Amino acid sequence: MLFKKMLRDMGRHKTQFISIFLMAFLAVFIYAGVGGEWKGLQKSSDSFYRATNLADIWVYGSGFTEEQEKAVSEIEGVVQTERRLDLEASADLENKPRVTLSFVTKNDISSLYLLEGTDFDGNDTDGIWLDKRFSDARGLSVGDSISLSYNGFSFTKTIRGLIDSSEYVYMSGGDGMTPDFYENGYAYLSYQAFPVPEMLTYSTLLIKTDDSGTDWEEAVGKALNGKYSVFLLRENHPSVNMFANEVSQHRMMGDIFPVVFLAIALLTMMTTMTRIVTAQRVQIGTLKALGFKKRSIVAHYLSYGFWLSLAGSVLGAVLGPLSLPHLFYPSMSGFYTLPEWKPAFSLSFLGMAGLVVAACTLVTYIACRNLLRETPAQALRPKAPRAMRHGIIEKSRLWGRLGFNSQWNLRDASRNRVRSLMAVIGVFGCTALLVCAFGMYDGMQDLKDWQYTDINKFESKLTVKEDASEEQISSVKDKVNGELLMEGSVEIRSEKTGKKKIGALTVTDHVTLISPTDFNRNPITLPQGGVSITCKMADSLGVSEGDMISWHVYGEENWVTTKVAALYREPTSQGISLTRECFEELGFSFRPTSILSAQKMTGTYEGIAGILSTADILQSWDDLTEAMMVMVYILILAAAVLSVVVLYNLGLLSFTEMEREMATLKVMGLKTRKLRGLLLTQNLWFSVIGFALGVPGGLWLVQIMVSSSGESFDFPIRLHAANFLLSFAITFGLSVLVNRLFSKKIRKINMVEALKGAE
Amino acid sequence: MRQKRGENPALPTRTKHPGPYERMVIAMKTMIEFQSVTKEYDIGDHVLKAVDNISFSIDEGEFVVILGPSGAGKSTVLNLLGGMDYASSGSIVVNGQDIVGLKDDALTEYRAKNVGFVFQFYNLIPTLTALENIALTKNIVKNPIDAREILSLVGLADHGGQFPAQLSGGEQQRVSIARAVAKNPAVLLCDEPTGALDSDTGAVVLTLLQKMSRERRKTVIIVTHNAVLAETADKVIRIKNGKIREIVLNKNPKSISEVAW
Repeated sequence: MLFKKMLRDMGRHKTQFISIFLMAFLAVFIYAGVGGEWKGLQKSSDSFYRATNLADIWVYGSGFTEEQEKAVSEIEGVVQTERRLDLEASADLENKPRVTLSFVTKNDISSLYLLEGTDFDGNDTDGIWLDKRFSDARGLSVGDSISLSYNGFSFTKTIRGLIDSSEYVYMSGGDGMTPDFYENGYAYLSYQAFPVPEMLTYSTLLIKTDDSGTDWEEAVGKALNGKYSVFLLRENHPSVNMFANEVSQHRMMGDIFPVVFLAIALLTMMTTMTRIVTAQRVQIGTLKALGFKKRSIVAHYLSYGFWLSLAGSVLGAVLGPLSLPHLFYPSMSGFYTLPEWKPAFSLSFLGMAGLVVAACTLVTYIACRNLLRETPAQALRPKAPRAMRHGIIEKSRLWGRLGFNSQWNLRDASRNRVRSLMAVIGVFGCTALLVCAFGMYDGMQDLKDWQYTDINKFESKLTVKEDASEEQISSVKDKVNGELLMEGSVEIRSEKTGKKKIGALTVTDHVTLISPTDFNRNPITLPQGGVSITCKMADSLGVSEGDMISWHVYGEENWVTTKVAALYREPTSQGISLTRECFEELGFSFRPTSILSAQKMTGTYEGIAGILSTADILQSWDDLTEAMMVMVYILILAAAVLSVVVLYNLGLLSFTEMEREMATLKVMGLKTRKLRGLLLTQNLWFSVIGFALGVPGGLWLVQIMVSSSGESFDFPIRLHAANFLLSFAITFGLSVLVNRLFSKKIRKINMVEALKGAE
Repeated sequence: MRQKRGENPALPTRTKHPGPYERMVIAMKTMIEFQSVTKEYDIGDHVLKAVDNISFSIDEGEFVVILGPSGAGKSTVLNLLGGMDYASSGSIVVNGQDIVGLKDDALTEYRAKNVGFVFQFYNLIPTLTALENIALTKNIVKNPIDAREILSLVGLADHGGQFPAQLSGGEQQRVSIARAVAKNPAVLLCDEPTGALDSDTGAVVLTLLQKMSRERRKTVIIVTHNAVLAETADKVIRIKNGKIREIVLNKNPKSISEVAW
């Protein structure tokens, strides 16, 4: 019988219960959906790494001998070693795409993953196993030949198979962030296929270790007698790292967003049940009078929270992993390469569902608890108002000067502290989300302008081929009126703190087309002598002007120590910068990697691998921000929904409590408009406080998101005035909207009904 | 003939008023013993005695009216009898059980088995039909009287599927009585049962309650401030300011229809 009552009660408060169901569903749906997605990614990548026996350590040097390999394999904890030659060749195809070749000795560590064709054969001198994404982009298939050239040598191989590689789950695309499978590829060959056997050296040493927490770098360094240039642990491998970052970003989203929905569900549940139990006070007393055990009555009301959240949670846990991952995977597979894209299921999804149900039921219990403590006699009598105490404000002189409106609202707010606090929090949340959304957008715009308008003054950047000759370079330079630039990577170590970091190397040869800026985006000139370092890099290393740093070019062995001459700020990459003279003085040889020109260039030049125009870069940047705009819109929508739901629910609570008083006021003759004004004032107060707190809160949120986006980014967050006003307008607009919803209710107050029953 | 559940087959069904001799026989059994009961409320600076050292006894099958002005304490007495509130001192023995000092669960069980309540404002569950409201009793006692039977008894057999909002005040009160009686309790407690009804409807309700007392031997206690009812009761307890003013026994109580409103 009571079950029927529950169903009919729910039918009466349809909107409320539907929104509770929806929120519970969404909370679990998103948790399980995104969870299924990132867990699936993790599972796929883990099994991929395992199936291909991905290396634990990569060591790069100028040539590893058999003895060196043996020395390393004898280190305690080293399970397997293998030598390999990696080099960058270019393919004899349109646009001369870059193909990274790996000449492999055993194919045991970081082995290829065959998709089509025949298996790897270490004795095959003519065979090449090519990256499938590249071959798809280029229309190549098994059996075709491909010509490659490296350092002046040209050779042709036959494609034996098409592959994936666990070292290229993410393949960076030169200057852009999105991989370009048309311009970049990789391939595996047997070391026996190397075109010039006399010149064969092994650039790479692959190592597999056990789990012991040895300081591998120290041990390996010792075994090699320091004869290596780069030591890379798996966690720092660019592909592994990038993918892991991506997964953890998804994880963060999947863990945080559901909390918001859960909070809304709980809030709505609490207000709805409080309303119901309050309104049904007499019914509860009646049931008690009839002889229902308190336990049964409690169980009855608990069932409202229980069944609803159970239905929503279970549905969410089931539908989430089945649908959400398939939303993400298509765009992910454009960016990353995995042999399998499958969502994963986890018991934690059911755990989350259980948590949601438990929380909803608990909240219901709290809402009902007080009421059920009364004796039946008390429950049948009208509820006594809460004991009144005159607060400090009331006693001050200010009190008399405040209008009726303010007095009423101050009293009401202080009597219902929890409710007032929740209202402020609701507005705070809404504002913070809005500010975060706009802040991200503005930040991206600022970044674009800073890097590509303030700093980069060139129109085209011509990338120099690795094997271009000096004559070719200088002829092109003259033709385009260009400036020479050398870019690379360095590993930097602070002498002061010992911290090490990898960064970008910029060597300028009388370059005017790059205009560095200081911390506050003002243009500065870097000192001619000495090494300058970017602000964020300096921060990470703990150095400042005048400190000493040691660094070496990535891939080369000799380290130099220099003094930090100046700091400059670059928003998209971190590292060091120095002039050609300085560079050569330190004993390095200057090899330009690009030519900058103020003119828009097209066409092909000898010695030039490709041309990047600033216009193109800006275009791809806009494409990137387009994806971000979706995120921004979602955030704004979420903010609006949050604010409306929270304010409405809280308003409902206070409305229910005040219904009697408002009916009395109405009977006495207070106009509906003035009554509305009462509620509006309260709403406005909370909105102002919530907004004031929300703005810094939102900015703080953006900072977190920016710092999670990567080590190479460094830019301050600023909210443009226009967007500030917009967030203000939206926040207050929503407040007013909620108020309108209530004014209808106020008009509808049936004075007679509300005042009846006072015996 | 099908036996009505809960009724003792040994006793003959009554169709006329019991005469003085018969009533003497029945009245041997005391149903309620209210002994020196006090109910106090602590209001800040002083103590309010809603019920001040009240004693009385009520026999099985008696039709009792508790009379008194507003705020006299009559509702409090009723609440105490029903185990809906806790007495500050004294003893209340109902059907052989002292309910003072009982805890919440025990009180609820006492109430479920022994007491049927009828309220001034009916207090039906608005989201249940008339029949379902009565059928609620299935969740409270093991063998309640069949809901349909009781509904016909109060003359509302055709209204079972209607919700309280669709019934008139008098009909709602009759459903409320049906609900109270369905449990087949020994005692029926009625708090101003006709307070919200017009005189004709009220008469119907009161007749029903009197029937319960005379035909089914239920102890019926009605709290009211309408002195006219005094003539219909077997016993009248007048309360004022929380104390008993007088207890009157009617040798020949009138039936409801005989009394002028």
